[in-house]
Formats: sequence, C-alpha cells, structure tokens
Amino acid sequence: MPPRALSRAVVAFGALLRRHSLPLTSLQITDAVRALDHLDLGDRDEVYRGLRAVMVGRPEEAPIFDRCFEAFWRARSEADAVAEALAGPAMPEEAPGPALESEGARRERLALEGWSEGGDEDEGGEPLGVPAASELEAMTTRDFSTFGADQLDELLRLTEQIARRLARRLSRRRRPVRRRGRLDLRRTLRANLTRGEIIELRYRQRKRRKVRLVLLCDVSGSMDLYSRFLLQFLFALQRVFARVETFTFSVRLTRVTDVLRARSYRQVLRRLQEVRDWSGGTRIGESLAEFNRHWSHLVDRRTIVIVLSDGWDTGDPDVLATELLRIKRRAGRVIWLNPLLGNPSYEPLTRGMAAALPLVDHFAAAHNLAALRDLAGRLSL
Amino acid sequence: MREEIRKIQSLMEAAEYVTDAPVATSVHLALSLKKPLLIEGHAGVGKTEVAKVMARMLETNLIRLQCYEGLDASATLYEWNYQKQLLHIKLGEGAHKPVDQEEHEIFSEAFLLKRPLLQAITQEESPVLLVDEIDRGDEELEAFMLEVFSDWQVTIPEIGTIKATHPPHVVLTSNRTRELSDALRRRCLYLWIDYPTYEKEIAIVERKVPGIDARLASEVARFMESLRKVRLAKVPGVAETLDWAQALATLHADHLDEALVYETLGCVLKDADDIKRFRAEVGKAGLAPFLQVSG
Repeated sequence: MPPRALSRAVVAFGALLRRHSLPLTSLQITDAVRALDHLDLGDRDEVYRGLRAVMVGRPEEAPIFDRCFEAFWRARSEADAVAEALAGPAMPEEAPGPALESEGARRERLALEGWSEGGDEDEGGEPLGVPAASELEAMTTRDFSTFGADQLDELLRLTEQIARRLARRLSRRRRPVRRRGRLDLRRTLRANLTRGEIIELRYRQRKRRKVRLVLLCDVSGSMDLYSRFLLQFLFALQRVFARVETFTFSVRLTRVTDVLRARSYRQVLRRLQEVRDWSGGTRIGESLAEFNRHWSHLVDRRTIVIVLSDGWDTGDPDVLATELLRIKRRAGRVIWLNPLLGNPSYEPLTRGMAAALPLVDHFAAAHNLAALRDLAGRLSL
Repeated sequence: MREEIRKIQSLMEAAEYVTDAPVATSVHLALSLKKPLLIEGHAGVGKTEVAKVMARMLETNLIRLQCYEGLDASATLYEWNYQKQLLHIKLGEGAHKPVDQEEHEIFSEAFLLKRPLLQAITQEESPVLLVDEIDRGDEELEAFMLEVFSDWQVTIPEIGTIKATHPPHVVLTSNRTRELSDALRRRCLYLWIDYPTYEKEIAIVERKVPGIDARLASEVARFMESLRKVRLAKVPGVAETLDWAQALATLHADHLDEALVYETLGCVLKDADDIKRFRAEVGKAGLAPFLQVSG
C-alpha cells in the first residue's frame, strides 16, 4: 500500500485533471493509486511517466497532464497558485454578458441550437410559424444572401427541419442487392443439421459501413453565411454518418468538431467565438496543407471530403492543387461547394478555382435550400 | 528508478529492442497492474515490436489479431470447422445415429477452430495478445473486445463457458485512422511512441544493422531527423531507416553522398511527390542541410 497521504494526493490530482477536462474514470484513479505500488516514489520522473501512462488516454491530453502535473506536484499546498498556474487551458466560467452579444452572435447561437440532439420533436406535424407550401418553395430556391437579417433565424430553423426529414429518409433507405453475397457455410450447416442434406442455403454479406464526412468550410468574408447554413444542415444530418469532422479556415485552419459537439449552445457559442479568426484574405492551399499535415488520418476511402469556398485564394494556386490532389488520393470523394455557382453568370475563373476544378468529383452551389437538398443525395459512397 | 523497470529495460534491450524509460515504465505497469496497453504513434515507429519483444522477454507465446475493416467480432473468437463437420456427417450416414448424439459430436472441441481471442485464453501460460491496428476494425469490434477483456471468459453455446486460467497480457496498437472510443482508452494504459530522437535512432541502427560504420549510422540518423521535418506525404518511420541502413551497409558505404542517397532513395521515400520535393530541396542547397544539426 502506498502511504495514505500520497494516495489521497493522487485522488486530488485526479480531480484536478478532471476539472481540466480530462475525462478520467474512477477506475483510472484507482489504477493510478495502485500504480504507486509499482513505481519508485523517490524518482519524480518515474512517477510522472507512470501516472501519465494510466491517466492520459490520447496524445492531445498529454500537454494538459504535463501542465497539471508540474503545477500540482510542485506546490501542492498552495491551491490558489495551482489554479493560477493552470489558467491557460481553462474556459471562463461565466457566460458572456448581454453587452458582448452582437447581432451576428445571437443569430449564430440560434443556428447552433439543438445540433447535437438528433431528437424527433418534429415527428408530430409541423410546428407553428412555418410558411405555407408555396411560400416554402420560394424560400428554398432563393439565395441565402438575399434574405434580410430578420428572416435568417426562420430560415435556419427551416434548414434544420428539412435536414432532419432527410436524415430519416436516408437512414431508412434500403437498396436492392444485386448479388446474393457469399455463402455462409456456418449458418447453412446449422439450418440443415437435421436434414442430413444441404437443402436450404444461407448467405451473408459484408456489413455496409456508414460514410464519414470531413468538412472544410471557408469562413472568410461572404463565405461565412454559407458556411453557417451548410454546417447547420449537415449537423442535423449527422446521425446518417459514421462521423462528421469539421474544420473552418480563412487564413489558418481550425478544427471545430469538438466545439460543435458541446452540449449547450451557450458553450458552443462561446467556444466558436474563440476559434473564429476574422482577418481578411483566404489561403485555401495553406489551410489544406495544414489539414494534410495534421489530420490526414481522418480521411480514407469511406470518407467524403467537402470543401466550401468561392476559390478566392490569396495564396499560391499550385499549393492548392498539390494539397487537394493529396486529399483526393485518400478520400472516397471530394466535393467542392461554391455558392457563387448559384449565379447563372458566374464562371469559375479565379486562379484557385481553376486549379481545383479538375481535381474535384462534384462541383455544386449550396447557395440555397434546394441546393443543400440536392447535396444530400450525393453523400453516399 | 525502480529495479523492475530497469530489468525490463535491459530485458528489452537483450531482445533487440532499443527502448527508453517511458516505454519500459508503461510495459512494467501493464504487467504489474494487469491492464491492456494501448500504443499509438505514427506508422513505422515500432508499436507492434513492443508486443513481440514482450513475448520474447516473458518467454511466452505471441498471439496476434490483425484487425481490418469488416472483421466480424465473432470471427475473432472461434468458428466451427464446417468442412470437417460435413465430412463427419457424410461418413456417419449409414449408422443412423440419433440427431442429438450427432449434434453433440460435431459441436465438440474437436470441430472447433480457435481464433486468436479464444486461443489467448486457453493457454497454459499467460501469452501476449497483440491486437494490431484496432483502429481499422469497426466500433462493434472494439466494444466486443472490451467485453472479453473485462472478465476473460467466453461462452460457446454448444460447449459452455471457458474461463481463462492465465489471462493474456494485452497490447493494442492504433495508427489513428479512426478515433477510438473513450471506453476503450480509459480502460487501457496509454503509450504514445514518437519518432526516435537522434541518439535513439543511432542506437537502433547500430543494434539492428551490426557492423555498420559508426559515421554512417550517425549520418543516417541525422539525415532521417532532418527529412522528417520536410513536409512529406509519407513520413519515413524507423522501418525505413533500418531498410536504408541495411542497404547502405550492403553497399559497404561509410558515409553519405548525393549519388549514394539518390541511388538508395527508394528505401526511404515511397511517394513520387515526396521524391520530387526532396530532389528539389537537394537541388537548391545540396545534401549538407540534411546532415547538419537542425535547430
């Protein structure tokens, strides 16, 4: 048995890690205490390595662990100093006051509401306040940017509704099987055991795996609005997919998957504002390069990669082409969405777009609800 | 440092594996706490090797379960040898045995094909069970493993429950093509293996390619360290280092020069774009930047 005081310290240390969002289980904390028995307690590095092996579950957690370890085992009695030393990764506890909430933020909050719920509250007929059919049709074919600020909330709600209905349809859809699959000898034998002859044949088929989505959304300038609709739409659809990974980019790339997974929209809002970078100019090529450097393991043959951008790239188009090609080699399909395509007079002449076009499998608009609905049809492999 | 950890380190060294304190500590804790060890890291840093070395070190069997997409959870446990069962039924056709006796016979252990998980729990001595590339398997498989790992017993309806008398030491590896579930992570000890440091890589090369020139080994390690900093589609791992060092040693090289590197580049870079990029870099400033201590 390790000394009582030390065991207790390890438990307290576990609590500290939890406060810094390491999802420790109580089993892990018990194991950490047990591990002390097998470590040289006089060797700080060894204790550090041992506790890390038990308490860290993924590489991203290691820096948090390191910081906490440093702070906790340096001056355990000075609890305040610990809190201060750890202020780095912590989130502000208070929600932003009303003064901080701009019009845009309010809209975004509404947009993010109810993403992770996947509930079926729209099961029993349309909620009140939904436009009549003809009006609805008109709304679905109008470009998002032509709506007034006051209509956007409603439009976002509508987007989510359509997506949920689609999700139900997509997950229910069954395809007729062309071939019967492989003979399942085990089941065949079982089924014919009492007959002595093989009469009834059983087949088996490979399980169909769900598709994964990787979204790379341009949030610079005018693209931000479209990105928001696409995100809203796809997140309402997310249970159709094995996984949805989301990144935003303008000058640099930010992974927002975890942010979007947050439970309460207040939290989501707060975090999304933190990751936002509003500086002008888009470097698509560089952003894709960064994606390839750190996140290429998310892409495989069962993955559809969607890039939403107008292709106005201030960077080098060759970089864009190289990096996009790299994605294309790994991915099942690459879809490029350009809202400007909704404008009949638009031609993809920007250098970035010209470089990207030959490399994408599908090029579409995503500028209105009807286009988003069409997109849903493309999201299977 | 704890005596056991030092011992593990020297045992691993004796088993031809160049190790460091984090690896040895994790292995030690996995053995003494009897917990699965989850190892992650880039391709080719020697994750699988840890399990192999553990088996050699403990002088026990290594049972390997290679995961792949679509691997059926039940197929990792056991299957019935249906061909043998069919033959048995055919052969016994004249005898008119009662059906339940027949069934009893063909669903006995003699007709059972033990797959890795079942093998692992029916050994005389705790083996090392390597679940390789678990990220390539489905999530259901992961859940199934967790269940097996929790009590080390398996129920085969026709035979009964088999409980492990000597539970295996489990090592899981993942290349992170898919995020593993928290449930699995939280139940394992975790080890991240990074690309080796310059010193460690020299040690690995000298250990695995006996007789290699000391200067060459150091240049190779330095070169690899620099190369991994270039933006590459396929970053070479330790396996590539060793292939290359072996090739160079076979050519009786004692130092690196441009011509030699170009001739043997295929051992290291395995992507056409990477080779192009590397050639462009060398074209600019020669080989020298790759052999300098990088800041």
